[in-house]
Amino acid sequence: MGAARMMRMPSYGSRLISGLAFGVMAVFFVVPLIFMIVVSFYQPDPMGFYKVDFVWENYAKFFSSFYYTVSLRSLYSSALGAVLVVAFAFPLVLFVSDLSRSHQQFWIISLLSLMCLSEVIIGFAWLILMSQSAGIPGFLEWIGLWDNPRSLSPSFGAMMIGLVFLGFSIVALILYPSVSRRDRSIEEAAVTLGTPPRLVFFKILLPTFRASLVPVTLTMFVYMLGVFVMPTMLGRPKDWTMTVIISDKALGDANLPLGAALAVVMLIVTVLVLIASAVLTRRRTP
Amino acid sequence: MGITKILTASTAIVMALNSAAWAEELTISAWGGFFEETLAAEIYPGFTAETGIEVRSIAQPEDSTWMTQLMAAARAGQAPADLSLVVDEVLLRGNEVGLWAELDPAAMPGTESLLDGYVKLNGDGNAFAVGALAFYTTFVTNTDFDADAPASWAELWEPKWDGKLGIVTTPNSGLLEVTAKTFFGGVDVLQTRDGIEQVIAKIAELKPQVSLWYRDEGQFQQSLESGELNAGLYYHDVTMLSVWDGLPVASTFPAEGGIVSDAYWVVPRDSEHIEAAEKFLDYMSRPEAQALMARMMGVTPIVPRDSMDLTDEEFAAVGSDIEPIRVQTEIHLREGDWLETKYQEMIAQ
Repeated sequence: MGAARMMRMPSYGSRLISGLAFGVMAVFFVVPLIFMIVVSFYQPDPMGFYKVDFVWENYAKFFSSFYYTVSLRSLYSSALGAVLVVAFAFPLVLFVSDLSRSHQQFWIISLLSLMCLSEVIIGFAWLILMSQSAGIPGFLEWIGLWDNPRSLSPSFGAMMIGLVFLGFSIVALILYPSVSRRDRSIEEAAVTLGTPPRLVFFKILLPTFRASLVPVTLTMFVYMLGVFVMPTMLGRPKDWTMTVIISDKALGDANLPLGAALAVVMLIVTVLVLIASAVLTRRRTP
Repeated sequence: MGITKILTASTAIVMALNSAAWAEELTISAWGGFFEETLAAEIYPGFTAETGIEVRSIAQPEDSTWMTQLMAAARAGQAPADLSLVVDEVLLRGNEVGLWAELDPAAMPGTESLLDGYVKLNGDGNAFAVGALAFYTTFVTNTDFDADAPASWAELWEPKWDGKLGIVTTPNSGLLEVTAKTFFGGVDVLQTRDGIEQVIAKIAELKPQVSLWYRDEGQFQQSLESGELNAGLYYHDVTMLSVWDGLPVASTFPAEGGIVSDAYWVVPRDSEHIEAAEKFLDYMSRPEAQALMARMMGVTPIVPRDSMDLTDEEFAAVGSDIEPIRVQTEIHLREGDWLETKYQEMIAQ
C-alpha cells in the first residue's frame, strides 16, 4: 500500500508541474501571440488607431521591395553575428577551461558581470569608444597612427561589435560546463597518434562539440534578430534590422496592425530557418 | 490665554483637515527630461499656490508611444494622467477615436487670451484641447567648426559639413516642409504624392552628408556639442540652454524661417478631475504663465506678444519675427503609412 502510494506520488507531481508549465506558456506566450496574429489582420486607420476588420493588406505590404530587403538584411546580420560570437567565445572557453580553478572562477565571474550590463549601457560605451574625440580614433591620432580620424560609428562593423559583445558572455557561459568536463584523453590520444597540435582544434574539438555549437549558434541567431538598441545606436540606417522597422511602425507611427503583420512574417521566417538548419545538421550527423 | 491657544490650535487642525480633505490632486504628464522637470519646478507651483490644487508631475514617452499607451488605458477605462502635453498629430488622432474629455470653454476664461485657433472645439462647441506652447526646430551648428550662422536652409545641402550632419529619422520633423519651401516655392508641392516624392528625392541628396539619422535626441545633442557632428536639425529651446551654458553651439533661424510645432493640453476621457483640469488650463493660458514658460523653458508663447511683459531680448531668445514653417500635420496624417514608408525607404536604402 505504502509502496504503491510512493510510486503514484511522482506522477501527480510531474503532471502538476507540466500543467503549470503549460499554463505559464499559454499565458505568457500563446495568448500574446494569438493577440498579435489577430491584430495583424486589423485595418490600420491613419486618422485614428485601427479598425477591427479582416484584411490581408498588412501582409501584402511585406512583399514590397523595402521590407523584403530589410528582412534579408536582418537574417544576414544576425547569422553573421551568431557565427562570429560563437567563433570568438568557443576558443576563449577552451582556453579558460585549461586554467587553474581560481583563474577559471575569475573568468566566470567576469563573464557573469558582463551579462548584468544593459544593452543601452553597452551601446553607449561602444559609442564613446568609437567616437572621434574620446575614443579609439582619437587615441590612434594621439599616437600618430591616424592623421585625420573619423568616428567609427555608425557603421556595420560597429553594429557587429555591439552584437558580438552582447552575445559573448551568454555563449561562453552556455558552452563552459560541457567544455570544462570534456574527456581530455581524446586530444592526448590524437596528438600521440600524430595529429599536429595546431590541428587538434579543427580535427578533434570542433567535431566533438558540434552538437553543442550548432544549437548555440542557432540560439544566438534568434537572439540577435530581436536586438533593437545596437542597430539603432551603432548601425547606419542601411543596417537597421526588421526589429527596428517593426518598432518604428508599431510605436513610432502607432500602426499596430502593420507592426504585428511584419512581426508575424518574421516569426514564420525565423521558424523556417530554424527547421531548415535542424534538418540539415541532423542529416549530416553520422 | 491657554484657552485661546487651544482654540487657535484646534482651529488650525480643523482647517488643515478640511483642506486635506478637499485638496485635489492633478496628475499632469509632459515629455520626460527638461520639459517635465522645468514645468514641475517652475510653472506648476504658481498654479498650486493660486488654487490649492496639488500637481503630481509625471514624464511621458515619445508622442506615438504615449498615444498607444493612452489608447490602451482608455480601453481599460483608466487615465494615466489627468492632463497631457501632446503635439497636434496625437491630438487629432486621439480626437478621432474619442480619447479626450470634453471641456467647457466658459469655465476657462483665461483661454480667451490665446491666439486664434488654439482652443480646439468639436461640433458641440465644447473644447477637446487647449494650446499649451509652441516650440521651434532650427538649423543648429557647432560654432567651433563654423562660427558663421547659416543664412538659408539651402546651406544644409552644401558639401561643407564634412559629412557630419545629424537629421531626425521621422518624416514629421519638418524637413519635408523646409525642403518644399526652400527648393519648391512652398509647401503646396506636398499636396500630391508626386510632389512629395520630388521633395523626398531632394532630401535624399543629403544622404552622403548625414552621418547620424537620429531617433534619440540625447545622442544628437551630445554629438553636436562634442564636435562629432557639425550641424543638423534640432530644438531651438534646448539648444539655447546649451548656448547659455557656454557650449560651442548655435541655433539659427534661416531666411526661410524656423520650423514651428504646437503643443496642446488634452484631458484623457477617463480623468476624474475635469473641473480641476479646466482651472489648470485657465491658469496656463494667461499671458503671465505664457511669459514665465518663455523665460524658464525657452518655448514660444501662444498669446499676442503685446499682452506679455517680455523684453525684446527675451522674445528674440524664444522665437523670431521671420514667418515660421509649419509642419503640415494634415498631409502627414492623410498620407500616413505611404509617406512613412517612402521616407524610411529613402533613408535606409
